[in-house]
Amino acid sequence: MSKRQLAMVMDLNKCIGCQTCTVACKTQWTNRNGREYMYWNNVETYPGTGYPKNWMDLGGGFDAAGDLKEGVIPNIEADYGVPWDFNYEDVGTYNYTKGDATPAFHADSTPTWGPNWDEDVGKGNFPSDNYFFYLPRICNHCTNPGCLSACPRDAIFKRDQDGVVLVDLDRCQGYRYCIAGCPYKKIYFNSKISKSEKCILCFPRIEQGLPPACAQQCVGRIRFVGFLDDTEGQVYKLVTKYKVALPLRSDYGTQPNVYYVPPTEAPAKFDAEGRIIEGSQRVPMTELELLFGKPVHAAIKTIKSEKEKRAKTGESELMDILIAYHHADMFRLDTNYYQDVAKASGNKNPLAPIDDRYSKGKFTADFSLPFVDEKPHGEGNKTEGNAHA
Amino acid sequence: MRNITKSLLVATSLATVAFAKPIVTPSGVITASKVGSINLASVSTSSSMWSGSKPTSIVLYPQTTIKLNDKKGNAVNSDAKAKMAQIQAVYSGSTIAFKLTWSDATNNTMAKNASDAYADGFATQIPVNYSDPKKLPYIGMGSDGRPVVVHIAKSIPAYFEPNGNKDVASQLATNMVNAFGEDLKKNRAAIAKLSKQYHKAFISEGFRSLTEIKDGSDKSGMSMTYDAKTKKWTAVIAQSLSASSGAVPVAFAIWDGSKYNRGGVKNLSSWTAVKLQGKSGGEALIAELTSKPKGDAKAGQVQVEAMCVSCHTTSATKVASSPYMAPGLKNIGGYTTSAYLAESIKDPSAVIVPGYNRNAHKNFKWYELDAKTGKRTSTMPPMMTDDKSINDAVAYLKTLKAEVEK
Repeated sequence: MSKRQLAMVMDLNKCIGCQTCTVACKTQWTNRNGREYMYWNNVETYPGTGYPKNWMDLGGGFDAAGDLKEGVIPNIEADYGVPWDFNYEDVGTYNYTKGDATPAFHADSTPTWGPNWDEDVGKGNFPSDNYFFYLPRICNHCTNPGCLSACPRDAIFKRDQDGVVLVDLDRCQGYRYCIAGCPYKKIYFNSKISKSEKCILCFPRIEQGLPPACAQQCVGRIRFVGFLDDTEGQVYKLVTKYKVALPLRSDYGTQPNVYYVPPTEAPAKFDAEGRIIEGSQRVPMTELELLFGKPVHAAIKTIKSEKEKRAKTGESELMDILIAYHHADMFRLDTNYYQDVAKASGNKNPLAPIDDRYSKGKFTADFSLPFVDEKPHGEGNKTEGNAHA
Repeated sequence: MRNITKSLLVATSLATVAFAKPIVTPSGVITASKVGSINLASVSTSSSMWSGSKPTSIVLYPQTTIKLNDKKGNAVNSDAKAKMAQIQAVYSGSTIAFKLTWSDATNNTMAKNASDAYADGFATQIPVNYSDPKKLPYIGMGSDGRPVVVHIAKSIPAYFEPNGNKDVASQLATNMVNAFGEDLKKNRAAIAKLSKQYHKAFISEGFRSLTEIKDGSDKSGMSMTYDAKTKKWTAVIAQSLSASSGAVPVAFAIWDGSKYNRGGVKNLSSWTAVKLQGKSGGEALIAELTSKPKGDAKAGQVQVEAMCVSCHTTSATKVASSPYMAPGLKNIGGYTTSAYLAESIKDPSAVIVPGYNRNAHKNFKWYELDAKTGKRTSTMPPMMTDDKSINDAVAYLKTLKAEVEK
């Protein structure tokens, strides 16, 4: 367990599935260098197969005795989806007169699966009782991470200062036991560099006081970011004070640190004549219980009663928080915290204030980042071949 | 009726006693012939330097000491067999080279965009210090205070690894680069130049502590080629060696990508003596690594099954209460030495490896860790003290190993 834990709350009542978070993450981190197929942030339709396909059935996490469970490593074609590209280069030299059945401009592979292949499908029958909601997912930066536990190389670490779970790319040798061990399948294999990679909670951003890109860009303002022990923070209030934000599949035993405000309001069902069935709910509680456990009942009750209170009295702290009047209030990252940590440890590297494990291993030669050590690289053996991310 | 039952029982117990079968010598002594010179950069399988070197067969056993968490891999390897490899060795001055040949039905490389494919590969392991042949490092990549140097080659396509050389721009996909035609070709060539083969050297004091040597102190050359006709891999490695005496202990490992092999899921040999032709010394090491167990395996089995099996799995039927309880012993006779087994029975804390990630199986910690000194003390008490019992147990444990694949 880390000394402090940074957490995110996502309000599912407000997620419209626009994928702006997905795109923010993709353009920031995963559109290059072997990461093209990865979605560190994705928004899936629930109920649905999710991303990767049927991730909830792929094992990992811990059993009741606390033993790490076996897991399956998803296949890129069948379970993730191949990031196809187009033949831009051939278009200029293509012989348009030969009457080819394949269009001149075409994808370089025929995908059979991909993220959101079943977007908006959901369950039930239209129009009487069909339903779905969106489930945005990032790495849960678990308190008891399955990926970290599975690594036979100690290549995954959890930062003491904020609980962010990271892969030490210097130690990672691409064995992929972490993928089997993560019950959320939120760690991915990069075959181009032969290493595992995952959501880094935008640590270079949070260290400078900026929220993760997915949270900053969220147009629905569904994402709150802050330290769990910061009693003034909205994350604390939602998770601990009002207990309306709940971890996803906590039964996996990894103690995830992304919390969800469960879908509270769903339209009523229709009868055969298309009339509203009073008091009915399209989203079955059994589904919500599967995702968020028994406490989902209390959470929904609290939200409903606070909503009522707000309607009657015009006052409710919880409703004010969930309405998210001021975007800035949703993120309490305490910029000085990271700077103070760096100062206390005598670390003068402004781009890595609290951890330099990306560039140091026990038997690796001492190594300084170029902006600290102005010596040109490749001078002698000292820096040759050294890795840092 | 009673007699039949009795004879059946006898037959069953005989069948489970592996010593009833002839013991295959796990490893002979490999003789490294002396050659004029070895060029690390251009070491190849077809070099003429191999012509005077006689191949020695060694057996590589499936690693079953720890159980990893890959469901498909565990299913495929639940009854993994041992494999035979032919080893040739040559040396020159302070360089030694090995040529390995082994059968593998499939040529597995990791294709582009593979998320769940694994590559074939091989490795050599040499202790940093081997002056006491009775105290060689633990076979699973060394142990506390007994480091080993491991060289690994994997048959994966050349890949780019972040390297701190300010060439991050070359990570971009070509459709994101502002270059066309000839410029794009140049850009691709530049990227290709940054890619390299998976040929790595590591230093390690027990599995999990494996750390890549990146300070330029390791000099080695590796290559591996697959012959689709004979369905065999031939691999070569040349590496520096500071041998003071005439024999060196070396261990080998091979990975079969089609069986989800990677990391700890592999076949490995026991420490094998390599005699440096024309160099004196090393007799004690050779004697130790080729010695036959002195004890009575049958008596040893009775003891081991009474004292060890509640924690250690020794066969498909003699299973520990949890697979994570203690190191599995199904192939322990295949890849460890008699001296190691004797040492570990007498003093379980003598050789301790970092073991499982301690977070993975919290109820089975294997050892106590002193937070201040980092010293590990085994949770296993010393089991036997008299030499007779230890020798008997060792003789039995040496019989625990998988059959060799036909």
